[in-house]
Amino acid sequence: MIEVNSLTKQYAGRTAVDGLSFTVEAGQCVGLLGPNGAGKSTTMRILAGYLSPSSGTARVNGFDVFHDSIKARRSIGYMPENAPLYLDMRVNEYLHFRGALKGLRGRELRKRGIDVMEACGLTASRRKIIATLSKGFCQRVALADALISRPPLLILDEPSNGLDPLQMRHIRELLAELRPQQTILLSTHLLGEVEQSCDRVLLIHRGQVCADDTPRNLVRKLRAATDVKLELQGQGPFEEELAKISGVRKITERKADGEWRRFTLRVEARADIRAVIFEVALQRHWHIRELHRELPSLEDVFVELTEGK
Amino acid sequence: MRILITLFIKELRSLFFSPVAWVVLAMVMLINGFSFRAAVAMLESGPQASSIVALTFFSRWFWLSYFFVFPLLTMRLFAEERKLGTFETLFTAPVHSWQVVLAKFSATMFFYCLLWLPSLGNFHLFQFMTKGASEIPQGQIIGSYILLFFLGLFNIAAGCFASALTSNQIVAATLSFTISLLHFLLGVFVLYLGQQVPPQFASFVHYFATVEHIPSFTSGLLDTRPLVYYSSLMVVFLVLTHHVLEFRRWRL
Ligand SMILES: Nc1ncnc2c1ncn2[C@@H]1O[C@H](COP(=O)(O)OP(=O)(O)O)[C@@H](O)[C@H]1O
Ligand SMILES: [Mg+2]
Repeated sequence: MIEVNSLTKQYAGRTAVDGLSFTVEAGQCVGLLGPNGAGKSTTMRILAGYLSPSSGTARVNGFDVFHDSIKARRSIGYMPENAPLYLDMRVNEYLHFRGALKGLRGRELRKRGIDVMEACGLTASRRKIIATLSKGFCQRVALADALISRPPLLILDEPSNGLDPLQMRHIRELLAELRPQQTILLSTHLLGEVEQSCDRVLLIHRGQVCADDTPRNLVRKLRAATDVKLELQGQGPFEEELAKISGVRKITERKADGEWRRFTLRVEARADIRAVIFEVALQRHWHIRELHRELPSLEDVFVELTEGK
Repeated sequence: MRILITLFIKELRSLFFSPVAWVVLAMVMLINGFSFRAAVAMLESGPQASSIVALTFFSRWFWLSYFFVFPLLTMRLFAEERKLGTFETLFTAPVHSWQVVLAKFSATMFFYCLLWLPSLGNFHLFQFMTKGASEIPQGQIIGSYILLFFLGLFNIAAGCFASALTSNQIVAATLSFTISLLHFLLGVFVLYLGQQVPPQFASFVHYFATVEHIPSFTSGLLDTRPLVYYSSLMVVFLVLTHHVLEFRRWRL
């Protein structure tokens, strides 16, 4: 369904997507996972025919997204980031307009309009002006727009970004309903989202794929390490003593606060070494001001994954 | 074609739902009123060489509406889409850029033509009130409105172009105003220089000179040169607009 071949996009000399290659088979639900600025939106915009690649090719449903742009676009239901909509239109008017743009006519257009509003839970708000809708409902309108022409491929850019947990669940349930029949490419920076919605995850960092796996395997990898933050005072050598503790992979020292030395320990996730550190501190007569475990942010893990390469 | 019509209707809809269009309509009607009043006052003051049509479109009032109509009508066309982000949804739908350009342009032209309809009523009213004592030649009316139409083609195309360049409506309006004004000044330039320029140059500048096209058209003389000139400018600006829209897809 999607074939991306060493795709590169440069913005004024700055590389946003850097030699990306991947394929998505029909019927798969693939998540692009990456921190902000990783190049997810740029990739999706190229696939949707909005931007041109600087080099490399991409095909959707067999059509080149650059040379056969209109045909490729007909196969895609695209939902951009932040769901931009015409604020002065009513929900049903908007969907009617979008359906007509995508080539639906007459009775079929009306029927599809009603169907997608039903599917996205918009039937009760069909006469509302879009400007008066909440963010969650705007996302639903954008999703309904993406669905209206029954495209074989859905491209959704951060479909649950900026929503509250309840609205997020609605979107996830909607996706779960679509998933069996539809090929979906969605992007997100939330690990939990791919875990629940996708068959396969592409981990993107600085415009490159750095992992391509099932969510389960990936989550196991990502949760492989945690940080422990520590502030202490007393007789050194701290680093040597701390390094002796089993499970510690790496010790970095942060800027000291007066007498207090500050360390960050990268440790195996399964080992909780806080109690051990405390024991060591007792033996050496160190004073401890802070000792706490921090689950690493996605960004940290990316850095580690990419550094590891 | 159907896509063009869909886009055209959508554009008209947003025009009629925006307060700007109604404000423009009200102001144009008001200014036309003043301009017509000024013409009638001239006729009252004594015999005039030109008819009421020429006096109306030759007045200072007319230029006032000429300069604010185009920026106000065109500034939102593309700038608003860029601001809202709907630019992206629009151009990821299976539509060609030129379809969007044509639809936006023709919807604005349509509204622009509506703007001038009430002023047509003024002349009929005048004829009715004077019980036919004042003759208004049809040719003069037709000539004047044809010129207005072609002035619209050029200025609205220029406005589309200005609006496509930016996401800020104020910037778009300023730019479009500047284009209209520069074009106008190129035309009056020679009027003020008078005899100081060689005649070849003066006749060349005549092509730009809207101020000189007005007398010939308001006297019912259909000169095709200005019409070709304004239509070519329209084509140039519409093509430029198309390229500005496609710029994001250039492979640099
Ligand atoms: N229009 C643009 N002009 C210049 N740089 C851009 C533009 N859009 C995105 N970028 C840059 O490209 C990189 C990737 O952006 P993006 O694809 O939006 O990332 P993501 O969606 O993963 O957060 C970012 O560093 C961003 O600053
Ligand atoms: Mg993004």
